[in-house]
Amino acid sequence: MSVWEKLTSLPREVIMSLVIVAMLIPALNPLGLPLMTGDMSLAWYDTVDALPADSIVLMDIGYGSGGYPSLGPGNIAALHQMFEKDLKVVLMATSLEGTMMYPLIMDVVRPEQDYGLVYGEDYVFIGYIAGEQTAMAGVLGDLKALVSVDYQGTSINSLSLMDNINGADDIDLVAYLTTAGGIAEGWVYQAYSQYDKKVVGGFLSMMTTSLKPYYDSGQLLGIMDGIKGAADLEFITGHPGDAIVSSDILTFTQTLVLIFIIIGNVSYWMVKQEGGN
Amino acid sequence: MVSMDPQIWLAAFFTIAATSYAFRDNLVFKFAENTFIGIAAGHAIVMGVKNIRDYGWTHIMSGEMIYVVVFVLGIMMYARFSDEYYWLYRYPIAFLVGNGIGISIRAAIHSDFIVQVRATASPLIASDALGTVNALITFVGCITAMSHFIFTYEKMDEGVLGWFPRIGRSMMLLAFGASFGNTVMSRFGMYQGRIIFLLRDWLQVI
Repeated sequence: MSVWEKLTSLPREVIMSLVIVAMLIPALNPLGLPLMTGDMSLAWYDTVDALPADSIVLMDIGYGSGGYPSLGPGNIAALHQMFEKDLKVVLMATSLEGTMMYPLIMDVVRPEQDYGLVYGEDYVFIGYIAGEQTAMAGVLGDLKALVSVDYQGTSINSLSLMDNINGADDIDLVAYLTTAGGIAEGWVYQAYSQYDKKVVGGFLSMMTTSLKPYYDSGQLLGIMDGIKGAADLEFITGHPGDAIVSSDILTFTQTLVLIFIIIGNVSYWMVKQEGGN
Repeated sequence: MVSMDPQIWLAAFFTIAATSYAFRDNLVFKFAENTFIGIAAGHAIVMGVKNIRDYGWTHIMSGEMIYVVVFVLGIMMYARFSDEYYWLYRYPIAFLVGNGIGISIRAAIHSDFIVQVRATASPLIASDALGTVNALITFVGCITAMSHFIFTYEKMDEGVLGWFPRIGRSMMLLAFGASFGNTVMSRFGMYQGRIIFLLRDWLQVI
């Protein structure tokens, strides 16, 4: 077996070990590689920044534990910006596991301790609502007909923030983060198309290619492109977190994949030249 | 200094157990997988019951009897487990499908068709040179990619006309390449989160 043939059939254990090493090196010794802030993240930031104080933001936690490493840091940075801008945030979850992500996020954001905010007055979590687009239509159409209690079972009539929020007319911005294509499209359909609301969306990078046309056509005013978008937002908002730490790791691992692709193609071509299969 | 928090140790164990599958299927991975499925199923049941209570039962208790219809439809879903009453299951499904289409179809046509066509039909000459190049690529990419899907005209793949679908295929391959790069970044983005957790929260070396 020639060297090229061996390279075309590298065991996955070797590849995985190299990937893990490529993650460990920059994690243990951060290189501080420059971060180029993307236009889509800047557009997200500018959209939120343009809202006057006390504007109402409806934020959807549409991801679970699998999506947390990619979207959680961005969600945290986004909430930092919103709370610093004195925006009022109504949080909800269209993902079943979104309710489990809420405490993880709030443990880092610390709205009461760091911003002096009060639950029920400055932000509310209405919990998971099943049905994806049906839930979105319900929340934007007639929120109080759908939701009578918050996630903890407290009547929303007793939460002062909810006094004047009945549906889309009372919401200034819809911000969502999700790992599901249906939810990502759903918010565009329901919030932008149905109610002409401002919408910003965060999703996994692998979804960006198919969802970017919504941004190009002005339906999404900003995009948080996975962990890269989260790193951008952490940088712009001045709240460095896990995403910025990840930037070096991502650069290293992506470079490694690039090398693997080149090796794979060259060795495949060389094996063919040698008369192999 | 390694963390002394048992929760962190538990999370670290399951992170490593789940990762071990990348090397070879094994008993530890299976244990982690089954535990995750069990917890996810348990959580789904609890959230399901909570949904029924919060979005259905509380309304009935406050006198909104129309919600009884929803409960009846929900119970009819279970008819699928019966050979004799299977047909009853079709009614709530018909309701769900009709409701889903009704809610999304108007917006889908607007967002995915009308607005997209309007955005694509923007002027080819933009305010700056880069914008013009971008608009030209979008225009050529859109027309040629669509020509790839013309299946009813045999001569579409011949002669000069054949360049259209050929360029269209290349345009789509470029998009697939971008999609692949983003997918790799997404997957690594997910895993590096666990690497940071292991090094920072568990081993506390960073």
